[in-house]
Amino acid sequence: MFAMVTQLIVSGVATGFIYGLTAIEYTLIWNSCGLLNFAHTKTIMFSAYLFVGTFLAIMANAYLPAVICTIICIALFGVLIALIIFIPLRNFTRLIAVMATVMLGTVLNEGAVLIWGSAPMSAGGFLDGRVEIGGVVTSLANIYIIVISVLVTIGLRLFMKKTKPGRAMICVAQDKVAASLMGVEVKRSMALSVAISFAICGLLGCLCAPLFRVQQTMVDMVGLKGFAAGVIGGFGNTTGAIAGGLLLGVVENLACMVVPSMYKDVIAFTLLILFLLVKPNGLISVKKD
Amino acid sequence: MLKIRNVNTYYGAIHAIHDIDVEVNEGEIVSVIGANGAGKSTLMKTIMGIVKPKTGTVEFMGEDITSASTAKIVKNGIVYVPEGRYIFPDLSVADNLMMGAYSQRFSAKELNDLMEEMYEMFPRLRERKKQLGGTLSGGEQQMLAIARGMMSRPKLIMFDEPSLGLAPIIVSEVFDTILKIKEEMQIPIVLVEQNAYKALSISNRCYILENGKVTLSGESAKLINDDNVRKAYLAG
Ligand SMILES: Nc1ncnc2c1ncn2[C@@H]1O[C@H](COP(=O)(O)OP(=O)(O)OP(=O)(O)O)[C@@H](O)[C@H]1O
Ligand SMILES: [Mg+2]
Repeated sequence: MFAMVTQLIVSGVATGFIYGLTAIEYTLIWNSCGLLNFAHTKTIMFSAYLFVGTFLAIMANAYLPAVICTIICIALFGVLIALIIFIPLRNFTRLIAVMATVMLGTVLNEGAVLIWGSAPMSAGGFLDGRVEIGGVVTSLANIYIIVISVLVTIGLRLFMKKTKPGRAMICVAQDKVAASLMGVEVKRSMALSVAISFAICGLLGCLCAPLFRVQQTMVDMVGLKGFAAGVIGGFGNTTGAIAGGLLLGVVENLACMVVPSMYKDVIAFTLLILFLLVKPNGLISVKKD
Repeated sequence: MLKIRNVNTYYGAIHAIHDIDVEVNEGEIVSVIGANGAGKSTLMKTIMGIVKPKTGTVEFMGEDITSASTAKIVKNGIVYVPEGRYIFPDLSVADNLMMGAYSQRFSAKELNDLMEEMYEMFPRLRERKKQLGGTLSGGEQQMLAIARGMMSRPKLIMFDEPSLGLAPIIVSEVFDTILKIKEEMQIPIVLVEQNAYKALSISNRCYILENGKVTLSGESAKLINDDNVRKAYLAG
């Protein structure tokens, strides 16, 4: 019993970090550009294809270089998208930019089929296997997800607090005119935020590849729940995003003990609605960062 | 050091400033006065590259900055303390001050000394250094905006209605500070003001703006005794 609960919690934590990183990834764009990136789910999916279908294939399973190449390509793609969508469209009505990101999602979706075909793919031996820690058995992927997510979250926080470009991003989120009057190149800072956001999507694509079959709809649920995690955590800050993700991941996993696992999603979204009703400012209503 | 030649700025079809020529020299306070909507803030925004002029040039220390980005202009040494202060609401007073130095490369020691200097000048900011910018009173925010502007050691600093919405005693404090900046730190100042009497008494030269045009300019000491100016701006 104890082992089973611990096991569920461990995999809940791993899933929770995936949700949390997803929340951070779209929060970054929301903070810097004031826009929701509706293409983020499809960007994660596209990254998974790029990782499995291209880099793992040509690099003969050199995992780390393939992950790095995927992240770099998607981050550069992010810069391009910042230059053609987020930066030029931020001054128009929100609807136009929203439509543009929705269309970008469609392009990525169809693009994936065109490039890699419609048959689902698998990540092969990447993060395959199980480990046993103190009697608790869990998948290797879960351990990697937890460790990498913790490192990425801490790294991102340090970057935001301690480096000049990071502090500039915080200021751009709060007031663009004031930021420019301090000498911040606002457009450059926005492009950097989008690039980091897309880099996290790239990483998520790699981390999700061993969890799901690589296909067009593979992370649709993750995208939605990542969004929920952000809302639960209090839209706009990294700590809240992770806290919201963990809560969601652990609760929906533990719920599987009492209700059939097909109701997992019902639990997740009920939790979201409850939070919206009871604590509309989220778990952690600290200052934005 | 700052030369504005023949500048015309538009907001869409609205012609906000017409054929403006303005000059600021080392060691002086230049005031810009005029009614609401005269184009004072637009002139400041044009200098800062926040809005771009359709025609004309802005030159700072011999360099044409007409089409430079705001960030570049700040790096070159012009600081603008805007109307409305633009404090970062979710940053502490200390972090707001730190951002003031963003455009320059200072060592940790230089930064510390600068902060200390600002806290000496504005003791109230020292008491509140951990408080969030958004929770300061209007007067405290104005102090913070001025101190933050000084953090980059500017070569020229421009204040847009620094007395707006402040109690008379705080207004005097703000003007004292502005004089101090010019006299002790030798930084030339552009001062936009509704309070024409204060502006004329503190400045060396003044430009009067009406409907986007400079209608009168000259030495403040002379303008303050000019009949037309007295009638229009000094109420008698
Ligand atoms: N963003 C804008 N879009 C359109 N028109 C604008 C904009 N900003 C200013 N204007 C117009 O330009 C003119 C000059 O405005 P400006 O803000 O420069 O006046 P001001 O002299 O600073 O006035 P105040 O003393 O009230 O601050 C006004 O008629 C104003 O309505
Ligand atoms: Mg104004």
